Amino acid sequence: MESFDLVVVGAGPGGYPAAIRAAQLGASVALVEQEELGGTCLNWGCIPTKTLIASSNFYFEMKNAAELGLRSDGVSFDYGELVARKDQVVKKLRAGVSQLLKANGVAVLKGTASFRSRQLLTVRENASEKLVEARKVILATGSVSARPDFLPVHPRVVDSKGFLNLTSLPSSAIVLGGGIIGCEFACMLAQFGVQTTLVELLPDIIATLDDDVRRELRRQMEKRLGIRIITGVSLEDIRADDSEVHARIGEEAIRADLLLAALGRRPATKGLALENAGLYPADGGFLKVDDFGRTRAASIFAVGDLTGSMQLAHLATSQGIVAAENACGQHLRRNEKTVPACIFTSPEIGVVGLSEKEAAQQGIEVRIGKFPFSVLGKALASGHATGFVKWIADPGTGQLLGAQAIGPHATELIAEAAVLVRGEATARDLAQTIHAHPTLSEAWMEAAHVLTGEPIHSAPPSRKTIRERV
Amino acid sequence: MVHPIIMPKLGQMTEESTIVRWLKREGDPVGKGDILFEIETDKAVMEVESFFDGTLLKIVVPENQTVPVMTTVAFVGNPGEPIPTVAPLPSAPSRPSDTPLPPRPAPQVSPPVSRTVAPAAVPPPAVAKTETQVSSAPAPAKPGRLRISPRARRLAVEKGIHLTGVQGTGPGGRIIERDVRTYLSERGYDRLRVTPAARALATAENLDLLEIRSLTGDDRIDVEDVRLALAERPRPLDRMRQVIAERLTRSFTTTPHFFVTVSADVTELSELRQRLKQHGQSYTLSDFIVKACALALCEFPEVNSTTDGKNVQWHSRIHIGLAVSLDRGLVVPVIRDAQDLSLPDIHQMATELIEKARSGRLTPDEMTGSTFTISNMGMLDVENFTAIINPGESAILAVSSARPTPVVKDGEIAVRAMMKMTLSSDHRLIDGAMAARFVNAIKTRLEDITLWNHLI
Repeated sequence: MESFDLVVVGAGPGGYPAAIRAAQLGASVALVEQEELGGTCLNWGCIPTKTLIASSNFYFEMKNAAELGLRSDGVSFDYGELVARKDQVVKKLRAGVSQLLKANGVAVLKGTASFRSRQLLTVRENASEKLVEARKVILATGSVSARPDFLPVHPRVVDSKGFLNLTSLPSSAIVLGGGIIGCEFACMLAQFGVQTTLVELLPDIIATLDDDVRRELRRQMEKRLGIRIITGVSLEDIRADDSEVHARIGEEAIRADLLLAALGRRPATKGLALENAGLYPADGGFLKVDDFGRTRAASIFAVGDLTGSMQLAHLATSQGIVAAENACGQHLRRNEKTVPACIFTSPEIGVVGLSEKEAAQQGIEVRIGKFPFSVLGKALASGHATGFVKWIADPGTGQLLGAQAIGPHATELIAEAAVLVRGEATARDLAQTIHAHPTLSEAWMEAAHVLTGEPIHSAPPSRKTIRERV
Repeated sequence: MVHPIIMPKLGQMTEESTIVRWLKREGDPVGKGDILFEIETDKAVMEVESFFDGTLLKIVVPENQTVPVMTTVAFVGNPGEPIPTVAPLPSAPSRPSDTPLPPRPAPQVSPPVSRTVAPAAVPPPAVAKTETQVSSAPAPAKPGRLRISPRARRLAVEKGIHLTGVQGTGPGGRIIERDVRTYLSERGYDRLRVTPAARALATAENLDLLEIRSLTGDDRIDVEDVRLALAERPRPLDRMRQVIAERLTRSFTTTPHFFVTVSADVTELSELRQRLKQHGQSYTLSDFIVKACALALCEFPEVNSTTDGKNVQWHSRIHIGLAVSLDRGLVVPVIRDAQDLSLPDIHQMATELIEKARSGRLTPDEMTGSTFTISNMGMLDVENFTAIINPGESAILAVSSARPTPVVKDGEIAVRAMMKMTLSSDHRLIDGAMAARFVNAIKTRLEDITLWNHLI
């Protein structure tokens, strides 16, 4: 029987960095994975979808290049080649992970892990099974798409992972679920020219966003991309046959070539036999952990989607590294006050820290500083002059508590905001930081000027307010 | 016509009061009966209403200022009317001639106040205000006391530090800039890492950055560290707490307390209560205890007395105080002439007083003059406790929870509802034997069902 200081279960963005860090700290580490190295993120999530989204963005811009004074008649694409590119990207990154694991001396065990006791795991692949002893365990098994019973089992009804295995695009699609994944897929499909309908049971799409950001996203998705968005109703009588998928919304019957279900993700604990380790997941199947990443069993840690935290690869990575260090005898507290989140819709969205909505819910008084891209030189020059950036700040000290951006490169722009929020910078610090011109990042500085009451490039507050502030 | 608004005298013992909150601002229209401001005496917080219609022309006494009763605190009149000049604060009592209106000492002249209503617990705004007061208390420089150069002061403010630890080397021990710099380097100021927002918050709250510790483990002072320091900053007790502190300390340090505990079997009394309840007559256990105490005090007038250590005063009447806990303190409403009251009278009075105490509507006179006090923690599930004698009295009865207890009754072990009572008595007046006899007199009465059947 092989014995390890640490066994990490799941080689996604939570698991493999944990394995590498523990190995760097001198532990003998095994990493168990039943599918592919890199997990959902690398194989069926972040990376492949962003590859396809990049192509769809480029294609859509080419088709609309007349806005920039270009002629691009006859632009077309071959979806098969796009898929091949996607697979290439995934393969390359997967090989990178594999190399890193090897270089750090992590033993990769292919198969499904399950607990026999707190310190003993079996790793089963097909008929073969082996027993592994683990002084510490990090569970990083992630999540899987929820697939409720009302969805028929049919090739025309897919989840995000199923969609990525398609080799051709439908001509029309219903996206069921207006969360982040649903909206990203809807934008991509629409940009490829797929006639897209988005159906969400809640009153609006992406309920967690601040109202102004959500309104802007919805407006762009409907007007610019031509997506039909239906919210506040349920999709009923879903049926699929060889030619199409049909369903009913209230009185209206709708049909499409494909139904993509994006109804949230459930923690993946199947086959782990957690009860043999004395672990019992909470409601919803999540495994609760403390500030140090420990489950109720002192030697077993858990990270990422499995723990019910925000389902973000980078958060899982951060948790994985903390858990690995703690598993190796350190005592680090997870620091997750500022977790940036990016949404790859069109336009893109980036958020970090406290939102206006959370402030209202928690009764925190805040001051808002907003700056639109429509008056920013670089945004106009590059033909992407929609959206805005927004600061949520403490009215007393001017501390930058959170930020939201919607518009060109918002997912990149949010990085600056994350550093400032984490460093507890004030609006004045930012307002006095020189930003290169002409760049999109100037928007942050301009919005900080709005907060300090001294905007150069937007309408000033009334003279009375200025006097009051002085 | 311009009417002065005067700080009312709300109780016979009240000499000064503090305005904790103005509910109207200068320029606000004021109607007869509108609440103008809230005041805090040494007993409670109350609202003061206007007797005049008009506009609040001027506020003379700001929030958190303590002034003697009968001081002019504001003027109500028509907009534009000239406002009489008032002596600068605080001056009202010492220089009455400066006040345009002769202060009216006679209590029969009714001040512009009709009634007093308000939570006895101090409202949160008052505390918030007093907090800011303290924050300025340990301020770096108190004019006149700390000798310091302007440059040194500016540097200290800029660095967010207090000057209390700085040694002055200028003429006459004056603190000069060099002293502040030396102090900063001695205290390792340059090694301090502070986030910008943490610095801004600490400066706004006048905290000394050198006294804030990083608790999040990253060696950097962040906003959370400043918040923790703020939460730990000493702040004044609210007025009610201060009164409680002063009275309890005086009593406990100047009165030799003697404690004696008995267990009363209240099984039959509880059964009687249940029977009475079924007949629509509700009594609390407290009602019976008040009555039993009144009866016992009639028998032991020595206990119903006051001493200063040299003289003793026996009170001919029995006024029983009932300790009532509030969210943020304690008040003791008084059942007067308990010796004359029937059980239904006691029940009705106690119910009214407790209700008033909880809703903050007790008047100062309803909270003074007790000659004996009962503190009943029966509903708080306690085994036994001792209470501190109210100043001016010579005993207090601490009543604990009645709980089923195995006891020996008639030579058999039985489960009875037993209630412990501990008498604290002033040992200067009351010898141990008397305390024992007195507390047993209470116990005997509580256990005497014939007596209660007779009294109801």
